[in-house]
Amino acid sequence: MKLYLYGIIDFSNQITESVYGLEGAGVYNIPFCDIGAVVSEINQPIQDVTEGVVLEHEAVVEKLMADFTVLPVRFQTVIDGRDNLLSMMQCYYRDFEDNFERLLNKFEFGIKVIWSADKIKENIIKTLSKEQQKRLELGSSPSKKFMNEKFEKYKIDKEFEAKADKFIKVMDMFFNRFAAEKKIEKLKTENLLLDAVYLVEKDEESNFREAFELVKSARPNFKYLFSGPWPAYNFVVLSKKSGLLREPEQADLFDKVTQSQTLVGADII
Amino acid sequence: MNNVVVKSKEVTLLEILDRVLDKGVVISGDMVISVADVDLIYLGLKVLLSSVETIEKLRGSPFTGPMQEAR
Repeated sequence: MKLYLYGIIDFSNQITESVYGLEGAGVYNIPFCDIGAVVSEINQPIQDVTEGVVLEHEAVVEKLMADFTVLPVRFQTVIDGRDNLLSMMQCYYRDFEDNFERLLNKFEFGIKVIWSADKIKENIIKTLSKEQQKRLELGSSPSKKFMNEKFEKYKIDKEFEAKADKFIKVMDMFFNRFAAEKKIEKLKTENLLLDAVYLVEKDEESNFREAFELVKSARPNFKYLFSGPWPAYNFVVLSKKSGLLREPEQADLFDKVTQSQTLVGADII
Repeated sequence: MNNVVVKSKEVTLLEILDRVLDKGVVISGDMVISVADVDLIYLGLKVLLSSVETIEKLRGSPFTGPMQEAR
């Protein structure tokens, strides 16, 4: 029996709500100690990946997010049987527990900010143009001209980066106040000024949204994309090595597994 | 209006794909039969060259409004 894995949750009992996953299969929780792996049965890994299949996966994760802390698992993770799944849970248990502690009551929000690189550069060129003109006049030989042009381009690029840094710093000041963690990427492309994800406490969600509105109104000429709340896709950290338990802990864990599974019994919804 | 809805849907889908296909817990080891080959799937879904920026250029209008209410 192959198991399609959607996510790990901080819950080791049956999920009471009926949830259907890929191929319309029933989704259920396989407990391990005080956590669980949410799976559905599958005949073989999906060959024909369509938008619909990806959305089915995401729908299950989102349903889980409503009730539990979820560590979302990468799409199309298929595990060969229940025993292998329990071995995996044992290997990663420490990591999973650390993540649950960090991510409890927190969601991820995505923010993308687009500016017009051409316009920004135009403005920079305007500012620098007087100085540039002087330089070009001074350097009359072709080699001097070439060097001056190169230097001007370098100055424009540098100023462009400096402007990006300045804007991102100001925006981040607003968002960071309400975020527990963040990941920021500057200028992924020339127009994509900011591509950021923030981890936000549930209680801070409205403050975070307000901060976004403030930023948006302060710079209406930029374009914004706000998405979320998401499960913490970008903030799950696995160290792998620390996932392996020491021997006495392993023995203890196996006791817990047996007890837990006996208590839960059939964990299918 | 229709354009905005289609665009909002595309942007939302892109955000979902970026997360579901490229982020989250990656389990490694012999017990795992398959993990998504992200590049192949992106190719298969023909969004490899799509990005928020290009969608924005293609569609023209700002996407802040609908996107904020999309989820």
